[in-house]
Amino acid sequence: MNTSNLIVCRCEEVTMEQLEEAYQSGCCTARQIKMKTRATMGACQGRVCRQMLDAWVHLKNPQLPRDAEQLSYRPPIRPVTFGQLAKGEV
Amino acid sequence: MDRIENHPILGPRKTKREPVDFTFNGEQWAGLKGEPIAAALLAVGIRTLRRHEESGSPRGLYCAIGHCMECRLNVQGKGTVRACLTPLEAGMCISEGERLPNEITGRRLP
Repeated sequence: MNTSNLIVCRCEEVTMEQLEEAYQSGCCTARQIKMKTRATMGACQGRVCRQMLDAWVHLKNPQLPRDAEQLSYRPPIRPVTFGQLAKGEV
Repeated sequence: MDRIENHPILGPRKTKREPVDFTFNGEQWAGLKGEPIAAALLAVGIRTLRRHEESGSPRGLYCAIGHCMECRLNVQGKGTVRACLTPLEAGMCISEGERLPNEITGRRLP
């Protein structure tokens, strides 16, 4: 199976090939790859691809400690509009 | 695509849902009140809910639980909503999520 054009991050359309390129250019943690490729920075904020990116980096470099540079979680847990927030509908 | 009227585990549908009209990209369609917009569109055969903002590639229902934001589209009066979570109401004016212009790369849309 050709995995090079496999999309990892759907929101930002980041492919496996781009991850590989970023890795080859010296990005070795999930956070560095995120900064280089925008993977996990789209509308879903990594809800879909965070685990895949983490797992891929771990596969590339199993020696790297898991908590070297973790991807951050940002509140809120669920996206809400300011209107919902103001009315307390959440 | 047909709706599941008789589910192998949950059995036949217990509550009748009222048919309502809505528009998608200006075209008139009928759906059932209260079903997710994505379900109503899937039932009439529409699978492209949105175009990617940057590349314009077609996108549709993906996670179906409000997680992935892939199915967001525009409902008049409500703004951008997730098609998988938003219940269909009578007379909704829905349009697909569109590709956007980009000032930085200089992409302008016709």
